[in-house]
Amino acid sequence: MPPYVIPEKCDACQGEEEPLCVQVCPGDLMMVDPASNKAICREPGDCWDCMICVKSCTRQAVQTVIQYQLAPVPAKLIPLIRPDAITWTLVDCHGRIERFVMKTLTGEEEEEV
Amino acid sequence: MARPRVYIDTDILIIGGGTAGCLAAWEARNVGGPRLKITILEKGFIRHSGCLAAGMNALNMYLNQGTPEDYVRYVRYDMGGAPIREDILLSVAREVNETVAIMEAQGLPIKKRPDGKYLNRGKWNIEVNGALLKPITAGMAYQANAEIYNRVYVTDLLKKDGRCVGAVGFGIRDGKFYIARARAVLVCAGGAAGLWRPRNGGDAHHRIWYYPFNCGSSYAVAKRAGAEMTGFDMRLVTLRTKDTYSPTGTLAIGVGAPMVNAAGEAFMKEREEYVKLGGHTAPTIYRLWAAMREIEEHRGPIYMDTRKGNPQRVAGLKAQYLDMAPIIVLYWGAHDLDPAREPIEIDADSPVLVGAHAGVTGIWTTGTTRMSTVPGLFASGEALGQAPSRFISGSWTCGRIAARHMVEYVRQNPEPVELEEAELARLEAEIFAPLERWDQAGRAGRLFTSGKPIEGILPREMEERMQNVMEEYAGGRARLFYVNETHLNIAGKHINRLRREQLQYLMARDLHELQLAWDVIHRLECCQLVVEHINYRKETRYPGYVNRSDYPEKNDAEYDCFINSVWDPATDRITFIKRPYEQIVPGDRTRESI
Repeated sequence: MPPYVIPEKCDACQGEEEPLCVQVCPGDLMMVDPASNKAICREPGDCWDCMICVKSCTRQAVQTVIQYQLAPVPAKLIPLIRPDAITWTLVDCHGRIERFVMKTLTGEEEEEV
Repeated sequence: MARPRVYIDTDILIIGGGTAGCLAAWEARNVGGPRLKITILEKGFIRHSGCLAAGMNALNMYLNQGTPEDYVRYVRYDMGGAPIREDILLSVAREVNETVAIMEAQGLPIKKRPDGKYLNRGKWNIEVNGALLKPITAGMAYQANAEIYNRVYVTDLLKKDGRCVGAVGFGIRDGKFYIARARAVLVCAGGAAGLWRPRNGGDAHHRIWYYPFNCGSSYAVAKRAGAEMTGFDMRLVTLRTKDTYSPTGTLAIGVGAPMVNAAGEAFMKEREEYVKLGGHTAPTIYRLWAAMREIEEHRGPIYMDTRKGNPQRVAGLKAQYLDMAPIIVLYWGAHDLDPAREPIEIDADSPVLVGAHAGVTGIWTTGTTRMSTVPGLFASGEALGQAPSRFISGSWTCGRIAARHMVEYVRQNPEPVELEEAELARLEAEIFAPLERWDQAGRAGRLFTSGKPIEGILPREMEERMQNVMEEYAGGRARLFYVNETHLNIAGKHINRLRREQLQYLMARDLHELQLAWDVIHRLECCQLVVEHINYRKETRYPGYVNRSDYPEKNDAEYDCFINSVWDPATDRITFIKRPYEQIVPGDRTRESI
């Protein structure tokens, strides 16, 4: 499920020393492409799909794409990060949408189980 | 070419800012006081690196009931009665609940039952919302005011007069030569994935269960420092969701889905040969063995039948996976697959070496000190051998315990040592050699038209060569995890040829590839131990994980013990030592008490 970067959305995190996705990738896979000055995954096959780059991007420029050898297009999974939760949107192969709100930090209200 | 150097001087050096390392830093500060120097060298970026990068939805070691002794009995049972270090496990079990409480106070959301107790998942697990498990864990190292160096790859430990006194490595982003001098060193840099050929190829070759950037550095650096190593005669093989190789505990324990074969037969419950091993709650090791046997005898594919699980829990599966392995949620969406409507296919992932999951590989340590046979060198997390099933919460705890012993060791051994420049220069040359070779080949134009060096080997090529050898001759999934002595001798010959003759061709075109080059060097160090250890244990004690077709039975008279080894750098030979198993918790080793 390697990350691919949407060129119109990526600005290589202007103002940051390194783009956030480059900063966080555990496998040292995200880099700035010298030709376009935008983020790129240097070796999609080396990605472990932890999705930290996707979650870190403030412009939602990084999209996770499942390897075609494993599954057909065009489903999508998009996390939207909030301070104490992630809202996940799953768009399945028929375009049906499911949303999940997952708590990430302890807060005032306890989640029901 | 002389590289810029970074000198670090510290009391406590922690190699690997992960589950064990961050808590070790925290505890070292607590017991060592404000003046203690604590340093972490981390290959990735500490907030998001390691096994916890994608999050985790459960903590798999927690005493919901019973005593530490009951936990030891459970782990012993789950390993099919194989020897384990009961002293170490007891020490962890006594503190694990306290550690979990500390982490909850740090902000980790733990699910609760209506009565306020933690929501358990099975007997020894609790459910968490662990998407931020790693940032919360890393927060402990920040709180400890540890000096954290991100993107530093440790290649070797430093020794002086038989003691471990530091480590060297390189900056993955800055290309500098890092030299860390320390009074005590903790190795906790994870286990080893990627020794065998991965199940998927091409752009999915890292679609594996275990964190692929753990490449056995913990084991490699300790072995090269002369530490006694243990448990390489066993490797963990996990049953995982086919294609995505996501965890299955969520399916088995979480929703109670039974394992079925192609005919829909819940074989663990219905076939007598499996019922006598414990049925569907048989030890993990037998459930894997049984599933592989079903495949071998052409009754596959194998599924977790989620249609038969608790419907409410099945409905919540996607949410649970989002906290840990979001890929499977996308995979289900892409395939229009609903676990309530159809079963989930599972298969065995490639073997991995681990010490904190249901594996025993690692560094041998003395008593409960976490100190190896090399004074000053400590181990924790996956690097610690023969104390399986500590998982995340146990690794946190183990990091804390290691830190206390390290602080004590530093108090007793306060004198700093002088490092020798000749040795540092030798290590520097070795570390950067793959880059130098590329520079020389490139400058001299010794390249094919494609840009491939005429006489050089790139890290990926060597990795694939190593994985082919291990897969075919050291009992990979392609061989259904079976080996015999002939296989192993072939594997040994090829692995040692790679180690002894081929590394001189290894090239790296940039710093990222230098990291890949050291990944393969460290993996090859592990491969040597694996092949020789499995060859030494002439019996089948871990069916499923390691099947010796030439010695299919257990041989208690010879091998009901720990098999340890020490590597000799002068001869590149391994000397074996049998260490006796000591049963501390009484009772039948093949029975659990809760």
